[in-house]
Amino acid sequence: MEHGMELINFIDLNVTTAIILILVGFVGGMVSGFIGSGGAFVLTPAMMTLGAPGIVAVASNICHKFPKALVGAVKRNKYGQVDVKLGLVLGVFAEAGVLFGKHVMTGIKNTFGAVGTDLYVSIMFIITLAIVGGFVFKDYRKLKNMSDEEQDQVGLTKLAQWVQSVKIPGTMFYSHGAKSELSVLFMVPIGFATGFLASAIAVGGFIGVPAMIYILGVPAIMASATELVIAFVMGLGGTIFYGLEGVVDIRMAMLILLGSLFGIQIGAIGTTYVKDYQVKFTMAVIMLTVLFSRFFYVPGYLGKLGMMEPLPDSTVQILKWIGDGVLFLALFLGAFTVISALLKGMREHKKRQSVSARNSVAD
Amino acid sequence: MTASQTSLGRVLFWGGLTALLYAALFHYADSFLHLAHTTQDACAVQSGMTVDYYNKATSELCGEKGGTFIDGTWWYVFAPIALAFALSYTHGLFTGLFWDVVGLKAKK
Repeated sequence: MEHGMELINFIDLNVTTAIILILVGFVGGMVSGFIGSGGAFVLTPAMMTLGAPGIVAVASNICHKFPKALVGAVKRNKYGQVDVKLGLVLGVFAEAGVLFGKHVMTGIKNTFGAVGTDLYVSIMFIITLAIVGGFVFKDYRKLKNMSDEEQDQVGLTKLAQWVQSVKIPGTMFYSHGAKSELSVLFMVPIGFATGFLASAIAVGGFIGVPAMIYILGVPAIMASATELVIAFVMGLGGTIFYGLEGVVDIRMAMLILLGSLFGIQIGAIGTTYVKDYQVKFTMAVIMLTVLFSRFFYVPGYLGKLGMMEPLPDSTVQILKWIGDGVLFLALFLGAFTVISALLKGMREHKKRQSVSARNSVAD
Repeated sequence: MTASQTSLGRVLFWGGLTALLYAALFHYADSFLHLAHTTQDACAVQSGMTVDYYNKATSELCGEKGGTFIDGTWWYVFAPIALAFALSYTHGLFTGLFWDVVGLKAKK
C-alpha cells in the first residue's frame, strides 16, 4: 500500500457497465421476488465480477436493499404478514452483528487491502451457499413427494416446540408470528448471526428466515415478511457503517435498483403461478451455480495476497473468464426459470378460466 | 377521464420523477463520489481526467503524494441514504403501476 494510504476504487461506469448492472439488477430482482428475500445473493458476486472490490460490492448491495425492504415490509404488513415486534427485536441484535462484521471486514481491508475483502467475501459465499443450497435442495426433494394437504400440515419442529416452552422471567415477549411467548435470549444469537452474515455477503436472510421458521416456529410466509423488517433495520445501519468508511457506491447501488424493482414484481407475480417445490428447486440450482462460479476467482486472490505461488496471469484470466461464464449461466438460468414459469402458469390459468367460463355458459 | 387513462397518467408521473432523480444522480455523479470518499479524511490526487481518493490519509502523506488533503465530514453519509430512499419510493411505485398497465397480474 503506497505511502500507507489506501486507494479504494469504484468501478468505471460507462454505458456498457451501466446496462450490465441494470440487467443484473433485473435478474437479481426477479430471483429475489420469486424465492422471497435473499435473491440479492446473485448481486454481490456480479458486482465483484464487474471489478468492484468485495467491500464495495457488499456495501452498495446493502444500500440498494434497505429502502426496498422498507417498502416491501409496509406492503406486506397490510396483509398482516409482518410480526413487527419480532422483526425489531431481531433487528436490534442484527445491528450488533452488522457492526461486528463490519469491523472484521475493515480489519481485513486495512491489513490485506481490498483484495483481502474479495477473498473473504468469496469464502463466506462459498460456505453459506453450500450449506443453504444443500438444505434447500433436500427440502425440495421432500416437498416434491408430498401432496398439497400434506405440505400444509407440516407443523412445528421439535426445536421450535422446545423454544416456545422455555419461560425465562423478565425476558419474555409475545410474538404474534409464532403465536407464543418467546424469550429475548433466543433472539441474541439469531439476530447477531443474521447481521454478521449480512455484513459479509449482503444477505442476512439466509440465517434469519430459516431460524424464524425452524427455531422460533414462525410460519414461512410470515418469516419472509418479518425478515424485511430486519433487513431494513440492519441495512440502514450497515449503509451508515459502510458509508462512514467511504465504500458505498451510490451509482452502482441505484443502477442495480433500477433493474431490480422491475424484476422483483415479475418474480413475485411468478410465484402465484407455481408450486412451492418448484421455487425451492430454482433456488437450489441458482445457489449452487453461483457457489461454483466463485471457486474460479479464489486462486487469483490467493496469488495476489501472496498466500500461494502466483499463477501465470493468463491462467488467472482464463479462470476468471470461466467464473464469469458460470455466473452468467446462473443468472440466465434464474431469468429463464422465472419467466418460463410465469408464462406457462399464465397460459394454463387462462385456459382453465376459459374452460370454466364455457362450462358455466353450458350449464 | 377513463380508469386506464388515469393509471397511465400515474405511470408517466412516477416514471418521469424517477427519470429526473436518475438524471440528477448521474449529472452530479462526481459530486456524489466526492461525498462518499470524504466521509472520512481523504487525499484527492488528480490522475488524468479523474480524481483518485486515498483512505487512511494524513496531510503529510497526502502532501508527499502531491494531493489535496480533505478533512472528513461524517454526515455526508446521509446523501446516498436520502437518494436511495427517494428512488426506492418513486421507482417502486412506477414499476408496480407499469406492470399493471402492461397487464401482468398475480393469479387471483
